[in-house]
Amino acid sequence: MRIKIPPFFSLPALIRKSFFAPALILIVFFVVFPVLQTVYISFFSPSDEFVGFDNYFDVLSQKEIVNVEDVSKGLSQPFGLGALVHNMIWISIHLPLSLFSGLILAIILRDVKGASIVKSAIFLGMVTPMIVGGIILRFTFEKNVGIVNGLLTFLGLEQLTRSWMAYAETTLFALIFGSVWLWTGFSMIVYSAGLTTIPKEYYEAAKIDGASSFRTFFHITFPLLKPMTITVVTMTLLWELKIFDIVFVAAGVSGGPGGAANVLALQMWNWAFRAFDFNRAATVATILTALTLVITIWMTRYMVKK
Amino acid sequence: MATNTEIGIAVLVIIGIIVSASTLFYTLDLTSRIAAIEEKLPPTLTVIGPWAGKEMEAFLPALQRFERLTGYKVVFKTFRAEDLAPILPAQFAAKKALGDVIFMWASFIREQAPDGHILEVTDQIDKADFSTGTYDPVTVDGKLWGGAYTGKVKPGFWYRNSTFAKYNLTQYIPAANGTYADFVTLLNKIEDTGAFENPIVSGDKDGWPLTDATEHFLITYGDPQLQKDLLAGDVSWTSTEVRAIFADRLVPLLAGNFSEPIDWTTGVELLWEEEYALYFMGSWITGMVDDPDDLGVFSLPGVEGFVFAADYFFIPAYTEHPEEAKELLDFLVSEEAQSVQVAQGGHLATNLDVPLTAYPVVDKRVAELMVGKELLLDLDDTIGGEFQTTLWSQLRLLWTSPTALDSVLAAIEAKAP
Repeated sequence: MRIKIPPFFSLPALIRKSFFAPALILIVFFVVFPVLQTVYISFFSPSDEFVGFDNYFDVLSQKEIVNVEDVSKGLSQPFGLGALVHNMIWISIHLPLSLFSGLILAIILRDVKGASIVKSAIFLGMVTPMIVGGIILRFTFEKNVGIVNGLLTFLGLEQLTRSWMAYAETTLFALIFGSVWLWTGFSMIVYSAGLTTIPKEYYEAAKIDGASSFRTFFHITFPLLKPMTITVVTMTLLWELKIFDIVFVAAGVSGGPGGAANVLALQMWNWAFRAFDFNRAATVATILTALTLVITIWMTRYMVKK
Repeated sequence: MATNTEIGIAVLVIIGIIVSASTLFYTLDLTSRIAAIEEKLPPTLTVIGPWAGKEMEAFLPALQRFERLTGYKVVFKTFRAEDLAPILPAQFAAKKALGDVIFMWASFIREQAPDGHILEVTDQIDKADFSTGTYDPVTVDGKLWGGAYTGKVKPGFWYRNSTFAKYNLTQYIPAANGTYADFVTLLNKIEDTGAFENPIVSGDKDGWPLTDATEHFLITYGDPQLQKDLLAGDVSWTSTEVRAIFADRLVPLLAGNFSEPIDWTTGVELLWEEEYALYFMGSWITGMVDDPDDLGVFSLPGVEGFVFAADYFFIPAYTEHPEEAKELLDFLVSEEAQSVQVAQGGHLATNLDVPLTAYPVVDKRVAELMVGKELLLDLDDTIGGEFQTTLWSQLRLLWTSPTALDSVLAAIEAKAP
């Protein structure tokens, strides 16, 4: 009796699959193994004892991650709230700002002559290495040489000039608002591409029906840009969760005055490479991975549904 | 019978094998010949250090002197300690090293030495040739793990002689045996000129320049022993003694007299442009200004000790040239190398044999200020780790939010040894 080999294991199929091997080996060694190892050591103490979730409870109870004392004081003491809270503040301010500014710019520049030049200029922020972006931000908000203070002086508001990165109250917000220009280019380009996919007939029909620009935007443009919005939201969320370079360069290794701009990735770096506490650092890395995984799964499910 | 085609293929295969074998043999032979030639060539040593620009230019003459003496080639690469900290442990784990001699924090050297990543150099160095305590930060269990090159002292407040002369401020410079009130008088006189944004510019970069100024206050209004006790963890940052120095001496000056923290290199320019009158900075400032002879410096009245931060370096265990690296270590700690370095300005020797005549005028003044004073280890560099970043960030907070003093001290104490 002849044994029938399933097509999956046939020689041609195996040969085809073997072409994946080099990439697969690299991914296993340089991505999968480090990730698993990181998760693994997050369950161990520095003396290699299994501690279950103790590291997680320990990390989440640290002032550097969530400063319960200061969080309870609310905005009366808006600094040093903890890295996790600062990441959330990044998301709640930076995400809508960069998303809507990109959308508005894409719509404004849709039918403008020479728009590509303006778009390229705006997109420059996106192609600038974030380390360089951080240095630019640092000096942008510097009292003596920064453009922000120069602008305030020009507007006759000298009393508001200050080194924005030097004050705990303003460091985080200076970073967030300053980095909007770095990221707006991304949302603008994605939305610009999305706008070209909306058929002109929809707008013509709306015009005939007497729809206002406002209604046209909210009933045609915005709903049809939903896939782009999902993409922009996901990518921006991931960027905001893993943000490190800008804060490291602009606010310093200590995350600004009193840790006022500290974020999860920077705290992970500090625990790993300043305190050499790799278990705590691995715990933060695992928490970050879990958070990004939730977002990625959500986006993947949405895409699959579509 | 084999067909002509099959014979042709067989011949081609045989030729292929012969060519491959010859190539392989030739390559192996060539490799071994190159290796033999390389063995005869003088080795190339790589030195990793934090200096760039003018500071690097001031360091290179010492390396060039070593090249001339030994015939070895030395390559210098700039890496800040902050950047090395995450790279080196990973390299050590892979039994690799970026360079043959690496300048790094003493705390890092102490941390890595017990794990076998650093070559012991106890036999290379005679501690008696150096200032007292110079080698304490790189000593673990009585063994030495690094060398001390030249260093920098944090002597006090720098000013421009010409600026002070222009505004008749020279007469108000507090004498060494003066009082805190004399210092405040000078600040008031500077304020009265109306020519400056603030009397003192506060340099900042991650917070370390603020730490230097704070240490100077602690040493002056506590004493050198207080600084040593803080370093050892024998005194709390929230103790009455420490709090009083902050509350009575430093904090009252933060509003109005010290500027808000400004990038420290910009601070040098602003001092030079007469935007500010005074700048608390290390002795390396003399290598950063156009005319070092126009610089003057004074300490807080009554100070009995100065922080002296030596530039420590180590030889990684994974160097390919351990013997040559040790020769370089011998040279860098020698009177000869350090004389070359201090002559460039901004550095002070750790080797006691370096004569005062080796220094430029302005550095000689600093060296004179140090006479009879106790030399102390840099508090944050010596402890390192989380304490260092916490101290930096909390002092940055204090500078702009002086009312947060108690929470600042509590946060520092939480990470103190």
